[in-house]
Amino acid sequence: MANPSMTHSFRDSPVLRPSGLIVLALVAALVAIMTMTGSRITLSLFAQAAIISIMALSVGFLARTADLISFGHAAPFGLGAYGTALIFRHGIPAELGILLVLLAVFALFFVMGLVVGKLNGIAFSMLTLALGQFFFVAVSKLRAITSGADGMNVSVPSSLFGLPGRTFQTPDGMLVIASVVLAALVIAIYLFEATRTGRLAMGVRENEERVLFLGYRTKLLKAAVLATSATIAGVSGVLFALYQGFVSPEIMHWSFSGNALIMAILGGSLAVWGPVAGALVFFFLREWLSDLTEHWHSVLGAILIAVTVAWPGGVTALAKVVRARLTGRKQGEAGK
Amino acid sequence: MSFLFRCEDIGKTYGGVVALKDVSIGLESGQVHGLIGPNGAGKSTFIDVVSGKTPGLGKVFFEDREITGIGPSAMRRMGISRSFQRTSIFPALTVRDQLELASHGAGGGHTGELVEMLGLGAVLETEAEEISYGQQRLVDLALALVGNPRVLLLDEPAAGLSSQESAAMAVHLEEIAERWNVAVLLVEHDMDVVFRVCKVLTVLASGRFLVQGAPADLRNNPAVIEAYFGSTA
Ligand SMILES: Nc1ncnc2c1ncn2[C@@H]1O[C@H](COP(=O)(O)OP(=O)(O)O)[C@@H](O)[C@H]1O
Ligand SMILES: [Mg+2]
Repeated sequence: MANPSMTHSFRDSPVLRPSGLIVLALVAALVAIMTMTGSRITLSLFAQAAIISIMALSVGFLARTADLISFGHAAPFGLGAYGTALIFRHGIPAELGILLVLLAVFALFFVMGLVVGKLNGIAFSMLTLALGQFFFVAVSKLRAITSGADGMNVSVPSSLFGLPGRTFQTPDGMLVIASVVLAALVIAIYLFEATRTGRLAMGVRENEERVLFLGYRTKLLKAAVLATSATIAGVSGVLFALYQGFVSPEIMHWSFSGNALIMAILGGSLAVWGPVAGALVFFFLREWLSDLTEHWHSVLGAILIAVTVAWPGGVTALAKVVRARLTGRKQGEAGK
Repeated sequence: MSFLFRCEDIGKTYGGVVALKDVSIGLESGQVHGLIGPNGAGKSTFIDVVSGKTPGLGKVFFEDREITGIGPSAMRRMGISRSFQRTSIFPALTVRDQLELASHGAGGGHTGELVEMLGLGAVLETEAEEISYGQQRLVDLALALVGNPRVLLLDEPAAGLSSQESAAMAVHLEEIAERWNVAVLLVEHDMDVVFRVCKVLTVLASGRFLVQGAPADLRNNPAVIEAYFGSTA
């Protein structure tokens, strides 16, 4: 009798298939070649792009896992960045301090998730927008702690996580570090989706009511997804603070939240890596456009509208079409 | 006589309109209890209120313990399960993944036998949005059946199936009720099916209790014919 086993394992995760491993190896090789041959300016651009990709990943993870659109992820990003600046200033052991900052971000957004657990759609987005602006105003006004609009210097210690502090502030060093962190997070998300909890999260996104009728409680899970997403944004903020050596309220402005969201939309949510692709497209399109015209924001906006109308799934949808074409052709050849 | 699952004076008002008023039903283990009545009679509303999908009036008892308002999640873990008239499944998950989710949620339980019984073996690895409507209905039912529940509230599980398929399903339900000793409440509009598998019928009309009894006794009940078959007879 057919009694198919219902057990799953990480083996099912696309990231551990040969194709996933090949992509990872290619990216690693690309980063290595770049650090050896790239100019300082190019490396710096890519280092920033890698950091911002982590931010986009956090917004995309929330959209993909919980179907929640955040207009306020500059808040956890900024908390990570300001938190790093503050612990360095107050002489708290750096590694422990960074961990505490990230833990605090997780805790804050977990509690928020519990409180607003019932909100979704526009209501959730509006709330994140308001919360983001609250933190923006807070860091601007709390001059005694944050120096307000003047911003704060980030004095990176001479040694951090076993690396010389300077490594975090050089373009090639940060490019490698941010790429490794980014890859680790992408892999972690892929693995998470292959777990039972990951599939439960997908079930909640798809049909929360039915999940309740299957005997699950969803409140903690939803709060944990929001908190995890915020923590990933926090990681991005920590790296940003380390690399730039300076933080100011702009990084908490809603427009930064908006940009991160645009990256996630450009990338699409059909694949975990979508937001990363979106961030790279956004970042380099912006660099290129801002060389061409000072109205880059309008041009970028127009491109974005065109993309979302013509091509709602973003880069990941395109990839799916391309792959279908490719595999279709292969099957056709095999059939001959 | 004691019922495994008992609902007392269930009621529901939608914006001033009474959809259901003072309907009481008791379910016995090992039996299929039919809930019938014309469209809009309040059958779905009854299941929605007692299962905790929508708030409403009345009391619910399981094994003589009041469980009113404990919510769907706790009810399911207790062994009280339901299916949905409007298919409620997980479109992007494979059939296997959602059955596994249901099995774990219900605290374990085999799905192999269920898969075979409902003929879902061929689509296990397919995402639910890719399978036929009839198969989606079966997935909805399977999600309710996983983990040997003790009470099943089934809202038109055969809707959208061909008449042979729905007859086959009804036979399966009768079998499930008897073999697993489950108390089943079945909303079903195919009268042949209802009269074949139900031991007891409750008839609703316009949100009110009309009559209850054995199918054979109700078949010729003038009030039932009037309310139920009035337009077609
Ligand atoms: N969400 C709702 N809002 C307003 N009225 C509703 C709603 N759901 C059901 N009703 C009304 O309640 C009555 C009973 O509906 P329902 O329980 O679906 O009937 P049945 O399942 O027996 O066909 C109908 O008059 C219907 O119009
Ligand atoms: Mg109905």
